Amino acid sequence: MTYKTNDPITHEIIQNSLQAAADEMFAAMRKTAMSSIIYEVLDMGTGIMDPSGELASSGAGIPAFIGVLDKSTRVIIEKFEQPGDIEPGDVFATNDPYYGGVTHLNDIVVLMPVFVGEELIAWCGNIAHHSDVGGMAPGSMTGEATVIFQEGLRLPAVKIISRGEPIAPVMEIIKVNSRMPEVLEGDLWAAIASVRIGNRRLVALAEKYGTATFLAAIESFMEYGEKVSLRELSKLPQGEFELSEEQDNGAIYNVKIAISEDRFTVDLRDNPEQMKGPLNTSRDGVMVAAQMLFKSLTSPYSPANGGSFRPIELLTSEGTVFHAQEPTALGYYYELELRVYDLMWRCLAAHMPERLAAGHFASVCGTFIGGIHPDTGRQYTIIEPQLGGWGASLSGDGNTAMFCGFHGETYNCPAEVNEARNGLYVDQMALNTQPGGEGKHHGGRGIILDYRVRSKEGFVTVAYTRSKFPAWGLYGGRDGSPNYIEFIPKRGERKELAEVSGLPTTTDDVIRVFTGIGGGLGDPRERDEQLVRNDVKNGLITAERAREVFGVEC
Amino acid sequence: MNETITRVATDIGGTFTDLVSFEFDPNTGRSRVRTAKVETTPPDYEIGMIDVIRKAGVDLAQIDFLAHGTTVVINVLTERKGVKVGLITTEGFRDTLEIARGNRPDFFNLHYRKPPPFVPRYLRRELPGRMDYHGREMRPLDISPLKRILEEFVDDGVEAVAVCFLHSYANPAHEVAAEAEIRRLCPDLPVVSSHSIVREWREYERSNTTVLSAYVQPVAENYLQRLNDKLTASGFRGSPYVMQSNCGVDSLSATARTPITMVESGPASGIWGAAELGGLIEEPNIIALDIGGTTAKCSLIENGDVRITTDYWIERDRKSAGYPVMVPVVDLVEIGNGGGSIAWVDDYGKLHVGPQSAGALPGPAAYGRGGTDATTTDANLLLGRINSEYFFGGEMEADMEAVNRAVEAVGRKLDLAPMEAARGIVRIANNNMVNALKLVSLNRGFDPRDFTLVAFGGGGGMHAVELAQELGVTKVVVPADAAVFSAWGMTMSDFRRDYIVTHLTDFEPHTADSIEAGFRELEEAAREQFASEGVPRSNLAFKRFGKFRYQNQEHTTEIELGDQRITASRVPAVREGFESAYEREYTYRLDAPVELVGLHLTATAQVGKLSIERRPPSGRDASAAMQATRSVDFATDGIHDTAIYRGSLLEVGMQIGGPAIIEESGSTTVVNPNCSAEVDGFGNIVMSIGI
Repeated sequence: MTYKTNDPITHEIIQNSLQAAADEMFAAMRKTAMSSIIYEVLDMGTGIMDPSGELASSGAGIPAFIGVLDKSTRVIIEKFEQPGDIEPGDVFATNDPYYGGVTHLNDIVVLMPVFVGEELIAWCGNIAHHSDVGGMAPGSMTGEATVIFQEGLRLPAVKIISRGEPIAPVMEIIKVNSRMPEVLEGDLWAAIASVRIGNRRLVALAEKYGTATFLAAIESFMEYGEKVSLRELSKLPQGEFELSEEQDNGAIYNVKIAISEDRFTVDLRDNPEQMKGPLNTSRDGVMVAAQMLFKSLTSPYSPANGGSFRPIELLTSEGTVFHAQEPTALGYYYELELRVYDLMWRCLAAHMPERLAAGHFASVCGTFIGGIHPDTGRQYTIIEPQLGGWGASLSGDGNTAMFCGFHGETYNCPAEVNEARNGLYVDQMALNTQPGGEGKHHGGRGIILDYRVRSKEGFVTVAYTRSKFPAWGLYGGRDGSPNYIEFIPKRGERKELAEVSGLPTTTDDVIRVFTGIGGGLGDPRERDEQLVRNDVKNGLITAERAREVFGVEC
Repeated sequence: MNETITRVATDIGGTFTDLVSFEFDPNTGRSRVRTAKVETTPPDYEIGMIDVIRKAGVDLAQIDFLAHGTTVVINVLTERKGVKVGLITTEGFRDTLEIARGNRPDFFNLHYRKPPPFVPRYLRRELPGRMDYHGREMRPLDISPLKRILEEFVDDGVEAVAVCFLHSYANPAHEVAAEAEIRRLCPDLPVVSSHSIVREWREYERSNTTVLSAYVQPVAENYLQRLNDKLTASGFRGSPYVMQSNCGVDSLSATARTPITMVESGPASGIWGAAELGGLIEEPNIIALDIGGTTAKCSLIENGDVRITTDYWIERDRKSAGYPVMVPVVDLVEIGNGGGSIAWVDDYGKLHVGPQSAGALPGPAAYGRGGTDATTTDANLLLGRINSEYFFGGEMEADMEAVNRAVEAVGRKLDLAPMEAARGIVRIANNNMVNALKLVSLNRGFDPRDFTLVAFGGGGGMHAVELAQELGVTKVVVPADAAVFSAWGMTMSDFRRDYIVTHLTDFEPHTADSIEAGFRELEEAAREQFASEGVPRSNLAFKRFGKFRYQNQEHTTEIELGDQRITASRVPAVREGFESAYEREYTYRLDAPVELVGLHLTATAQVGKLSIERRPPSGRDASAAMQATRSVDFATDGIHDTAIYRGSLLEVGMQIGGPAIIEESGSTTVVNPNCSAEVDGFGNIVMSIGI
């Protein structure tokens, strides 16, 4: 039986099957990866691109990786332009933001062209965070890096598998550059398996319905994405909006957003020069942040594809923090992406309160802890983002203990697994009940998490933002609380830190993480009395603060 | 003396209570099957159960084995009708239940609501004391605060207590001590500890499972007690067995202690039925598909084995993180796609089917109860695949005017004629199910062409052939009495318990002894437990499984280890078994050490199982069962004049060529052109699929 008809139902079936294939690629990667940052944190993404590199469908995972793979694919297509450069069975890789890698060197993008016969019909892609890709510091990310060369091995959009055969020298070079070569190799093969599975599914799909129908279905899918976006865009308040905001490091970031019937223009040209350290991002990274917010504002439930993002226009100046110039370091790109995401959110929140809540803790709170597992003698490296509080909205209190807007279907590491795997103790994981986030609707709570080190020699690195200026409140709601760690050494003085690289640790030192409470919304004195009493009963606020801040006697 | 063995299963569903009864005479080898169906009688479900037994004409006093399946647990959970629970946990971790895992599946939605915990913060209390991951005590447990905590619990109206401590999977001593103290202090307060349900790591999942078990426990225990009393009062002499989510049955008393294990028992019994049917017809590799009114469920059975996992969540989908229930549950994929699934067109002209369902009220447009949405059932009626003159076996009149209106409305939005729209609905519904079937087969490296599709539930036979064609499956079986197949599966189930424990170790020859010791410990525990239920040691059969992974990975692949001892010399062969299974699923192997992460032991005891006789062909031609001919639209297979057969008139050996439709009171089987059907010796409809 053949179905080479070009009707809308067939298109729909092909589009659903693309989604299923992207999800399957995601599941395969998740189950086989060796790094917890991939299999629990799910710092990874999968996608399917059309032959020109436009995003056709994306798998589950995290929103910040949707809209990365298309940019990488385009760079591969440009670079490998000669006939015979791209062949069936090939696999390409890039991790360099100056070569289509978008994010930072830890994230290796793997791309496979999909052929039916000699015809290129699609690309399957996968991006995942690798625990160590070399560079000056374990885990490859450090606040001390000033140029990208210090952040690890650069893969400038290269072929790693040719017609199904791994290019052995390239694979060896990748492996030998890592401090955790077996893990890197395992994770890289998991990524390759994932795109190969996608390849098989797409070939079967195109063979069944015919290549022309397959391609037409992708095209109509993107038109659908664009139609949805344009229609929802037209419902947003039109006009020009601007916001400047001081950062923890004293810099002032600025955004101007112009919304018209068919355009969503983000102007980030008026921003500071790129930093000396790794707190910079590529222009592509900023585009991903703009796409994330745009998608949330317009149509959070419909599929995200290249068409969905067509109305976005982005203006940047090369050489600024939001458009870094080679060879600037950008290991902490994700904090910058979050800053610009939060900046756009805050810029618009007051103008569309039914769509946007108050600010959330808005930092990945990337926490890197390394040492030797005292029971196995093996090196371990924890790379963990943290949970924090989300902002209150018109519809109610903010969510408690969730990953930041950058992450999505991401899972924290259970204490029991952490203790076994990494040989440290987790002494507590509790809600953060510090003051902050009070309002008619309360900001969600962040967490307090204690890691007690067992290893004799180890290190901790953190790079949190929103440590000085916490999540912002709305309409008289109070600001949230800051993100930081308290380092409590067995001997010596406690200190509060938000940014530190390679701080030495020893047995029984405690790294206590505090993540912020989200911004409140509305005057705390308007909060429902019963809710205040419940908060007191649940030990979230004291009776004293109930009286002082909310005006409720308990 | 009456030597007939009678095995009966009753299955209480949302709408109907089903019964299947087998009577077997060992002297003559003759067996007799009866089925019956009555409406479910909430909230006194036991009344419907007695009704259905009476309706079937089964004498309660003559029943040797009675299995019972119920949705009471899942209903209590989804309707939030459980009791107020207090949680006792490890110092520093009372917020674990609320923090959960922090994930946001619906990640572009900035209005996502995190599922709230089942126990509020003030009822989550901590005790000092700590184990490490080896199960070694770091700090002793201090139970002295319990007295005050329990007093406060009682004041706050707590009706059940859950206890879950860190690393109790490795050493439950602290939980045992706390539970004993709670029982001493409050003998009437139900209490459940995590180790009596789960012996695996991950504290959030374990805590939530314990809390949900406590949440449903008093309600479920009360239900089981009433049921037992009613049965005894009505003349039943034994004790009923209760269907579990792991495809086995368990005793009433064990189920009453941790009823959460019943959570997915309905789907489990159908899938077990498919596995048993596979054994009967000598097809060990089965894809089971159960299409009901609101959902379709599927599962893969390899070599006669159903796959059991503890990675089960309720209320989890693309829009919600849901709640984990870490008990042994048959591995299945469920999608919101059944006969009552609503077809709808979004604002941009795309057609979708499900996951919203018209349910029983108003139901599909055809029910004539005011439903205006077109459902898959309505599309099938319009295409002539379901007989509008024989709707529900003629018990209900199909409101074809309402069907036309509903499907027309969908067509208008798509700019399609009603028949085109109906075809579209069926094709989209089929595609949704094909994607689910791929999840359990292709996604795990299995080629569906190597499997037989067993399709049941009200809609199984309706869609099976087209799904098989999509997947390249060449043989489809629609079981006899497909509409009460879950109850049939229950009559075939064994007394079964799954013991799954976290046991992390390198998998090397020198660790074989400790692994063997781990399995022995489980076997001993199983023997003791079964002995206390009156099952002799010799009646127990064990099967061992190991959960393996490459070092540094997280997720595991489960490998069957048979029932032999684990010795150093077996290690290489087991490793090879893991690696080949891994390669099949993920396409590659690694040169890395292998770890064992968990032990899984299944213990089963057969409780008087029956052998079912194969009947000889009647020798008559299928034309004897033919009722009429009518025009039927086969969606992608054209419109054909089609012979219509009455299922109840079919006899063993009858052969039917497609296109044909076989109508029974609760289900319809569609035999597409190029396909043929035959009634086998057990009354099943076996179809060969032409491409």
